Amino acid sequence: MTAPVATNAADLVAVSVAGHIVHPGFPGLPAEPYRLASDGTAFLLPTYGGIVYNVSVGDRAFGWAADCIHPGVSIRQAEDTRNRGLNVYACVGNRAKVMTGQAAGTAGVVTGKSGRFSEQVIVHFPKAARAKMAVGDQIVIRSEGIGMALTDHPAVMLKGIGPNLLDALPCRKDGGRIDFGVVATIPAHLVGAGLGLTSEGGSLHLQSTDRGELARHGLDALRLGDIVALADTDSRYNHGYLRGARALGVICTTDGPRAGFGPGIAILMTSPAGELGSFDAPGTNIAGLLSLEP
Amino acid sequence: MSESLRWNVEDLVEMAVNGQVSQPTMRPNGYLPWPDGRAAVLPGMSGIAYNARVGDRAFGWAGDHVEPGVSIAHADEKSDFALHYLTCIGNEAEVTTGLARGAKGIVTGEHARLLVDFAPEVLEDMTIGDTVQIRARGRGIRLAGFPELEFKKTSPELARAYNLRAENGQIICPVAMELPARIMGSGAELNAEYVDQDLMSGDRALMADLGIDRMRLGDLIAIRNVDHRFGRSFREGWIAICLCIHGDSVMTGHGPGILTLITGPAERLGFSVEPGANIAQTLNIRSAA
Repeated sequence: MTAPVATNAADLVAVSVAGHIVHPGFPGLPAEPYRLASDGTAFLLPTYGGIVYNVSVGDRAFGWAADCIHPGVSIRQAEDTRNRGLNVYACVGNRAKVMTGQAAGTAGVVTGKSGRFSEQVIVHFPKAARAKMAVGDQIVIRSEGIGMALTDHPAVMLKGIGPNLLDALPCRKDGGRIDFGVVATIPAHLVGAGLGLTSEGGSLHLQSTDRGELARHGLDALRLGDIVALADTDSRYNHGYLRGARALGVICTTDGPRAGFGPGIAILMTSPAGELGSFDAPGTNIAGLLSLEP
Repeated sequence: MSESLRWNVEDLVEMAVNGQVSQPTMRPNGYLPWPDGRAAVLPGMSGIAYNARVGDRAFGWAGDHVEPGVSIAHADEKSDFALHYLTCIGNEAEVTTGLARGAKGIVTGEHARLLVDFAPEVLEDMTIGDTVQIRARGRGIRLAGFPELEFKKTSPELARAYNLRAENGQIICPVAMELPARIMGSGAELNAEYVDQDLMSGDRALMADLGIDRMRLGDLIAIRNVDHRFGRSFREGWIAICLCIHGDSVMTGHGPGILTLITGPAERLGFSVEPGANIAQTLNIRSAA
């Protein structure tokens, strides 16, 4: 069903960006360590950053005793402009490599990003390699994908997607429209944190406070790595509501208890007026599309 | 752990945090005051404690707030608080730099630094500044059917080591001894997710009368009529199960450190005083002393 998609991939420049494995962070005293769940109760749970040993792309996005966990390993740069460079340049599907420490030489794959307040790049490594890694190890990414365009669909803007992932997505063409296979479609009223923020890097979250509404839209069984569509969402220059617009992304963080912060989505592409479509393709997950090693 | 108890272990996330072996520090005036004002200079906090280990006595050292094993901290404040809030007792630690790289240890306490037990021969190869990484797991742990009970800093390994049993709708935890609420002191100012609350050992005669002076580092401790959910305060009808994490102190309002592990209403949480309720044994860190 996948048809070749014409792009300018031959013109892309591959460039290095690097980061270090992040240490998780909590505010110091006298601040309370708690975050508030959507019902007002206080919680203290693991959250983003660090080396996560037992959550991987392909696992469930819901039900963990955690707040928006990043599967695998999260990296960043300490200095803000360098970190923006890392966060924007890294594309989902890009190759990564451990450059220091006991796991030096191990290959990985970029699987997502996180947005405001954390701004990390999420990288998959095999579980056995994670056991050898240490916070602070340097990871370098071969960034490739920024500047990529669909030759025959100029109204579709690509966002942080590597050419290898684009090639692997199930795809159909319908007249001037291009459609990609997705696991589920998120209605605009369930799009949450990330709205109004940059769509170059970062993430956009599904809302998960109303569990019944999630189930009605088939969103309660999403897995990390699932490809999803966001209806009426324009992610060209920041994320926002626009009837007829559409965005596609990949679930890259787990659910969390906070209002507005369900599973995080790294946006991969968008169009403003119906030029981008989607079709039901259960099981479309980057763990399989990119052959991630467990 | 009886067969009927079910934990949400499969939902827990395991992630890395680290810290560096800390250097003991002193203020320009390094004296600690006894209750009568007499001054003392005593070791105990930070660094590598070569000869004080979990399972050893909590009282009687020529030291103050003795931290058994290796004390680690992170230089960056936010990272340090993540080290504090995510690490659980019983988590596995590994030395990732220096001569002892690769050596495994077990988290046995949390004071202003995290306290990690390593075998004595490993300590010989460690130095100030070595990095110790912890596989943090246990935050968010719950016991099915007992939503009223809150577990803090409880790794799945510690959950097993508690040897909890359910009796008539109540969870019973074996403990080494009970402390009266009226002697709980320094630490009342902190949130209950952070470090410990010292028992106040200044009434030395009371320590002997109640046998509190026989407490060991790593003992499980019960306190009646305290609520340790969001702070540590007196509340009739509530129970806290705690852990002795550091040694005695000479200072007024201080004493051995008591870290919160379980808290809940007394109709759902109880305890029984049993010899051997010490994590040095129950986590198989040391054979029975």
